[in-house]
Amino acid sequence: MLRTFTLKFLRLVLVVLVVTFITFGLTKLQPGDPVSKIIPFGTAQQKAALTQDLGLNEPVYQQYGKWLGNFLQGDFGKYYDSKQSVNTVIKTSLPVSLELMLYAQFFALLIAIPLGVTTAYRAGSKYDRGANATMFALLALPNFVVALLLAIYVGAKWQLLPTQSNVIPFPLNPLDNWTYMLMPVVALTLGQIAVYMRLLRSDMIATLQEDFITTAKAKGIPTRRILWRHALRPSSLTLLTVAGLNVGALIGGAIVVENVFGVPGLGKRITEAILAKQYPALQSYVAIIAILYVTVNFAIDILYSVLDPRIRNARSVA
Amino acid sequence: MSAESFAESSATTPSSDAPLLVVNNLKTYFKTDRGLVRAVDGVSFTLERGRTLGVVGESGSGKTVLARSIMGLLPKRDVERSGSVKFEGVELVGADNSLMAQYWGDQMAMVFQDPMTSLNPVMRVGKQITEGLRQHLDISKDHANQTALALLSSVGIPEPERRLRQYPHEMSGGMRQRVMIAIAIACGPKLLFADEPTTALDVTVQAQILDLLQTQQRDRYMAMILVTHDLGVVAGRTDEIAVMYAGKIVEKAPTKVLFSNLRHPYTEALLSSIPKISDPSHTRLKTIGGRPPNLINPPTGCKFSPRCAYATDKCRTEEPPLSAPDSDGHQFSCWFPVELSAKQTSGVR
Amino acid sequence: MRDPLPDHGEELIHLMHDSEARSDVPADSVTQHFAAVSAGTVKAKKKGLTIGAWIAVGWMTLLILAAILAPVLPIPDPINDANPLKAAQGPTLNHIFGLDGNGRDVFSRIIWGARNSLFIAFAAVITGFIIGGALGLISGYFKGRVGGVLGALTDILLAFPQLVLALAVVSFLGRTVFNVTMALAIVSIPILARITRASTLSWSERDFVTAARAQGAGHIRTMLREILPNVLPAMLSIALLGIAVAIVAEASLSLVGAGVKPDVTTWGNVIFSGQAYLREAPSMVLFPSMVIFFTVYALNYLGDVLRATFDVRESAL
Ligand SMILES: Nc1ncnc2c1ncn2[C@@H]1O[C@H](COP(=O)(O)OP(=O)(O)OP(=O)(O)O)[C@@H](O)[C@H]1O
Ligand SMILES: [Mg+2]
Repeated sequence: MLRTFTLKFLRLVLVVLVVTFITFGLTKLQPGDPVSKIIPFGTAQQKAALTQDLGLNEPVYQQYGKWLGNFLQGDFGKYYDSKQSVNTVIKTSLPVSLELMLYAQFFALLIAIPLGVTTAYRAGSKYDRGANATMFALLALPNFVVALLLAIYVGAKWQLLPTQSNVIPFPLNPLDNWTYMLMPVVALTLGQIAVYMRLLRSDMIATLQEDFITTAKAKGIPTRRILWRHALRPSSLTLLTVAGLNVGALIGGAIVVENVFGVPGLGKRITEAILAKQYPALQSYVAIIAILYVTVNFAIDILYSVLDPRIRNARSVA
Repeated sequence: MSAESFAESSATTPSSDAPLLVVNNLKTYFKTDRGLVRAVDGVSFTLERGRTLGVVGESGSGKTVLARSIMGLLPKRDVERSGSVKFEGVELVGADNSLMAQYWGDQMAMVFQDPMTSLNPVMRVGKQITEGLRQHLDISKDHANQTALALLSSVGIPEPERRLRQYPHEMSGGMRQRVMIAIAIACGPKLLFADEPTTALDVTVQAQILDLLQTQQRDRYMAMILVTHDLGVVAGRTDEIAVMYAGKIVEKAPTKVLFSNLRHPYTEALLSSIPKISDPSHTRLKTIGGRPPNLINPPTGCKFSPRCAYATDKCRTEEPPLSAPDSDGHQFSCWFPVELSAKQTSGVR
Repeated sequence: MRDPLPDHGEELIHLMHDSEARSDVPADSVTQHFAAVSAGTVKAKKKGLTIGAWIAVGWMTLLILAAILAPVLPIPDPINDANPLKAAQGPTLNHIFGLDGNGRDVFSRIIWGARNSLFIAFAAVITGFIIGGALGLISGYFKGRVGGVLGALTDILLAFPQLVLALAVVSFLGRTVFNVTMALAIVSIPILARITRASTLSWSERDFVTAARAQGAGHIRTMLREILPNVLPAMLSIALLGIAVAIVAEASLSLVGAGVKPDVTTWGNVIFSGQAYLREAPSMVLFPSMVIFFTVYALNYLGDVLRATFDVRESAL
């Protein structure tokens, strides 16, 4: 048990290292010298000083080591020009993105699970076919399309909800926070519902064919209880893994949606940093996303063994 | 504290003078892409309280479908079920699931063929037993746990406290089948179906499980329908035997009568396919020649005629009806029944 | 010769390559998308295509034809035929999809956008198909260390949010058509490598492969002649979805301002330029969005038809 966890944890660290090193390498690959991009009209002296300052004349691995050392100590670097600390930006923007993704994930599952369970139970019925066709269409609907539709109609035409948002932190005013969050969350949620619902449905259909479901039925357990207590849990393993891996898609979606609605989250900050060529900041953002993603999946690995006792045992034996 | 007391308390008796189970012309067809599968095609029999019936036939003869159809456990979609199943006088064909749920587990229960897949892999064994108890009997959690404990020891599981907290995968096949039996008998059903309860088990535990079923059946005065493809299994264990072929009962008789006086060539073939102790150890297992019948386009006349050594033209064109029971209660459907020689019985225990 | 890997190699591979526990679970957004698309759709249809499939094929043909023929079609230039006086107009008889913020014909821009967006998506996925396919075939065929290391590498690449990866690559390398294509190719390589590898693993165990080897067929010949034809359906059906995903990714990149520069007309850029006029002329955003939706839908549908026809199982992914 401990051994597998250690291995998994080491793997997690390795992934983060490789990913950050690759992004670090990429910043070095780009054409032209960053200093002339930051101060295109600076004198040669100024440029040399900045190069020195940024440590750009050291070998790549040393630069990487330095960045990593700082990162591990919680110093995420500074913006080139304004010297603004990346830490403060992260402190204000990460919670916004996390809130957005959390809501999206929560509502997607909240809607997808009952849909998946009931359509699986009534597989082949009109209800099932209708829901399935809708979800198939939703799969083809990119989240930016949903975001733009919302922005056009709910935001611009009918003016029901604010579009240019300055997200009010939840603790300050929950209601305001929600009015600003509503459209971004819907835009991010719709596509996920389709993914989760369709995967759960097909897993549930398979589970409902299992012998132990007949056993439960033959015990006289009511259908509702069979669906939720007996069939859902064994069917939810795939769903769970997918929900974890989906954090990757969710992060991508959050970047797009934040940009469409102007939500001041990490996704928006990342694109800003990219456009302004703020590489040290970008480097830290990418690392944070990688860590976030890998950690979520690590946590899910653990949850996995909670949900399925067979895995729990296989591991403790190994 | 034993489970029996609950059996009594839960036993409701709507019409206690009617036979426990009367099956009349039960048909169960599956609609498939290839056509209509006539898995059960007009089966009738009566089962009295506390009696046991063995249902025997080759693989694919419709035994499982018959059991599930009687119990109403088949899906509704693409299944045509007709005829009549009366349980204590109450008609069950056409009953909806909410009515059936009152019978399932409480009045009738089933032990399935494969204990490896019949238990929920992610639910503790104890929970799987108490769940049914709490569904049908109005008892507390504690009480249910106590009962589950008693049940586990009564089906011969050592260290029941520990086992209750285990998951199915932590148990052997034999243990799991004992658990399945405990689940089935938990609420004291009046009728127990055992669908090939030992086929998936090691030879060494098969007899133990069959003996367990038999003692439980006697102790609790349950009626039991024991489904098997092996005449040897039912030989000493059931009151009556029904032999099934292609969805029909082709011969039915009290066990002793059947073995001493079998009349149907199919029964004869089945019996000769049982390995005998007296056989030299390397004798090849005899199997019945020919293939099991196609249930979508069954042969005309007697369904067994294409494989029957004694078949005549009449057999191939006219289907023999199931005869009325004779004085022994013996019924069969054959134009040219096997004569009363019955030499084959010598090898049977 | 010494082993290419030190003694801890196995351990390292095991450490990096963790697939047993979730081998039947989609490992990246495309495979996941694939699983979601194919989940629970009706089993393989009878021979021949359904009406839906014909519509999808029809739409794609129309689109590809329009994209190829864009230069000879009688439509205004998507970049230069600007008319600031008629900026941001809704649909009219002359301009059925309206005019954009610079007074350029949106219909023409969508057709030229198809040319560029489809080129980017196809080129990216074809690159991914060839490189990823080769990697997958090799790592699945030569199990052991080669396979382990390659598998571990793809796993690591997959362990990263793909839009972020593409975003990083484009922003570091520059916003050209080539770089966007490469970024999307980099994203699709591990995806195709993974499915090819999984599929190869199961096929290379078959008797006919062993038989071919026993008759003296070389490794390369065995891979190309015996295994590849069997692995191809799975690769193709996921590649179709990969194209759909690449189309959406291209548009997403443009939308956050990190796609191809605006002087190249892509669907993403058409939408991006319309974003500023949501109130005045939503048509500028609605029409290209609709076109993307139909295209992605058609590709999803065809990918699923392909999967069903060749009975590619999700678990094989
Ligand atoms: N859901 C179904 N749909 C279509 N055909 C079915 C279905 N269930 C069973 N059958 C068919 O009904 C026939 C009888 O099956 P059944 O399972 O009752 O046989 P059995 O006598 O129990 O055999 P075994 O000894 O193998 O368990 C078989 O031909 C089977 O293919
Ligand atoms: Mg059976």
